Amino acid sequence: MYLQVSAMSSGDSSGDGGKWLDAHYDPMAGLYTFSSCVDLAELSGDGESRLLVGDLGSGSAGMKLKVYRGTSLTSESTLLDLPSGVVAFFMDLHEPRIPAVAVASGPCIYVYKNLRPYFKFTLPSLQVNTLEQDVWQQVREGQIDPLTLKEMLESIRRKADVPLSMRSLRFLSLDPDEMDDYVQLHKQQPIRRQTVITCISTLKKSTADDDGVSCLVIGTESCDVYVLDPEAFIILSKMSLPAAPSFMDVTGQFDVEFRITVACRNGNIYILRRDSDKPKYCIELASHPVGLVRVGKNVVVGCTDESLQGFTQKGKRLWRTVLAAPITTMAAMDLPTRGFQAVLLGLANCEVQLYRDKNLLSTIKTPDVVTSICFGRYGREDGTLIMTTRAGGLIVKILKRTAVFDDRDGAPGPPQAQSIRLNVPKKTKLYVDQTLRVSGESGAAMHRAFQMDLSRLRLAAAKAYVKALESSLTPVSSSLSEPLKMNAVVQGLGPTFKLTLNVQNTAACRPVMNLAVSFLYDESLYRVKNPFLRIPLLVPGLIYPIQTFVECTSDKGIADIIKVFVLHEGRSSPLLTAHINMPVSEGLTLN
Amino acid sequence: MVAGWPMGLFDKLAAWLGLKKEVNVLCLGLDNSGKTTIINRLKPSNAQTQDIVPTIGFSIEKFKTSSLSFTVFDMSGQGRYRNLWEHYYKEGQAIIFVIDSADKLRMVVAKEELDTLLNHPDIKHRRIPILFFANKMDVRDALSSVKVSQLLSLENIKDKPWHICATDALKGDGLQEGVDWLQDQIKTMRT
Repeated sequence: MYLQVSAMSSGDSSGDGGKWLDAHYDPMAGLYTFSSCVDLAELSGDGESRLLVGDLGSGSAGMKLKVYRGTSLTSESTLLDLPSGVVAFFMDLHEPRIPAVAVASGPCIYVYKNLRPYFKFTLPSLQVNTLEQDVWQQVREGQIDPLTLKEMLESIRRKADVPLSMRSLRFLSLDPDEMDDYVQLHKQQPIRRQTVITCISTLKKSTADDDGVSCLVIGTESCDVYVLDPEAFIILSKMSLPAAPSFMDVTGQFDVEFRITVACRNGNIYILRRDSDKPKYCIELASHPVGLVRVGKNVVVGCTDESLQGFTQKGKRLWRTVLAAPITTMAAMDLPTRGFQAVLLGLANCEVQLYRDKNLLSTIKTPDVVTSICFGRYGREDGTLIMTTRAGGLIVKILKRTAVFDDRDGAPGPPQAQSIRLNVPKKTKLYVDQTLRVSGESGAAMHRAFQMDLSRLRLAAAKAYVKALESSLTPVSSSLSEPLKMNAVVQGLGPTFKLTLNVQNTAACRPVMNLAVSFLYDESLYRVKNPFLRIPLLVPGLIYPIQTFVECTSDKGIADIIKVFVLHEGRSSPLLTAHINMPVSEGLTLN
Repeated sequence: MVAGWPMGLFDKLAAWLGLKKEVNVLCLGLDNSGKTTIINRLKPSNAQTQDIVPTIGFSIEKFKTSSLSFTVFDMSGQGRYRNLWEHYYKEGQAIIFVIDSADKLRMVVAKEELDTLLNHPDIKHRRIPILFFANKMDVRDALSSVKVSQLLSLENIKDKPWHICATDALKGDGLQEGVDWLQDQIKTMRT
């Protein structure tokens, strides 16, 4: 029961929508490697693919070529230097069809057949600076001491167009007390200048068959790309680049037509073709590439600015998408049986994402940051995803037979519901008639009528407003010299009411003087205690309550309007007017 | 078993007359697990073939035990043919599921296919006997039948009779035990 529970929980936690089966996870596998050093190949001809890993060990020791079968390590052989790439390739037509393994390491390619060392290819050495050669010649003859040698080498380094050899550069970095020993050790050997391999790939020689003979294609630190003959290991073609290559993708056949897409350390991608030893196209990226994968005819590039970009094979950018985290590694996912091609991205936030073009199809959560990804046939299973982690773990996942990748899965954009048709009821005859009437025959007339009424309404409103302003019928004074505001409150049940007028000077800083309040009312109904009131000086901002008492003299239970005028001494028109709707006196009816 | 004896009598009679009851059995499992080799081993020695090749699609084989006549649908286990399996679930009266005990990596795939099989509407509500062959016991680091049944969570199959046998189809070890169990199950099913 425990087994069941753990299996289920691990399936859910991966968050990939149940598309992958967790076949194997060994956190202690001790595999420290990158995608360029991982490959899958049928090494024994029994129909079962093995996993080849060029293990970088600790970076200075423990470099190994490891071979896995299923869940277990079946073979390992020590490598002399750090591997920069591991590829399996068919080098001849012999039966049974078992591929050889090429390990690129330093300036050499070590070729293994049946997992035994078979051949070592060394890159041709580069031209050596003649001045440098002369200086070392003098050292050998004992004519100059190490300190003079250092001075001379430094001057050569500054001036010469041919760079110094590794030996001289190493010498220049030494402390003076180590120099003697170094010179004694090395002075007898001739000087050689070697480059190192930065990337390796394969290129079918003349047929596109899966088991066709392949050439090795190598990129070097000296900014060259070489194509090697698979049997004789001679250089078939040499091409030059403006910068040192870091990632490479090769397609086509050497004898027919091929295309080498190279991401270089200057942040550009160059596309080389068969007929030219110089790049045919160049893609200038905004930031440095961290991975390069071919999907169909297009090239997908991951960049340091957390973006993924697609280009045509002529270098035209098709799309760009922004990722959630920096890319750690990239690999192609190719399932020819289902016609499915996509790109797998290892991200620094412990996720592996699957993109088809710019659409995110699926996300796999991993227990650690993934540093290498390889997808292909492993064992007898076609859709196997192999990943190694930063801590050296090995993860194997198998794509479910029934898994379907949906383009819209998780991708930002319009939600699914948007494309579902709503169940809208049929249009009624009335609706259709109205729609016809509005859109066809009388639309313009309706609009005109509406516009005319609207204009009349506006005119009427404006007229009333102007009239109110002219006769100061508003409780707000519009005059610039005496900006006033007033409101009136009636308190009481009757027959005597208390009338409070709140007067406010709304000017910014000017006080108002010489104001008075008077009332206009039906004298048969009301009697105002003080029908004329003087208003004191109004300080700006403050509210002045002015109170008086109104007595209702009628017992008929009727109410009237009392008009309040705020007047300025010496002017006949009021500053402002308020109409007070008096309540019905209830006190009188009680009597 | 009191109710069973007239049937047993009939069986004996039928056997005596040379009439045996026909049973359709599905033989399932991943590719390279040994299905065809097992079926080949169960056939009479004069009908056995020497070289076994990967099955394409499926093949129909017949063999007889003491009381039953088996018609086996030997299905191909390759990924691209596995979607054929479900079309034969209706006809099958028993299932033989073969597992490569040495293929630890693909044990999850075998479990996935088994779960799909058990949840199929044609199988789910039938009390159909399932015989598991944990095959390739001759391989050095093969898993035991107990371990295989653990990895496939066989203990969760509650509504169907099942049985697991450790087998080596190359030598034929363990096959007879499994077929005897299956025969008993089919007989009790009918009574």
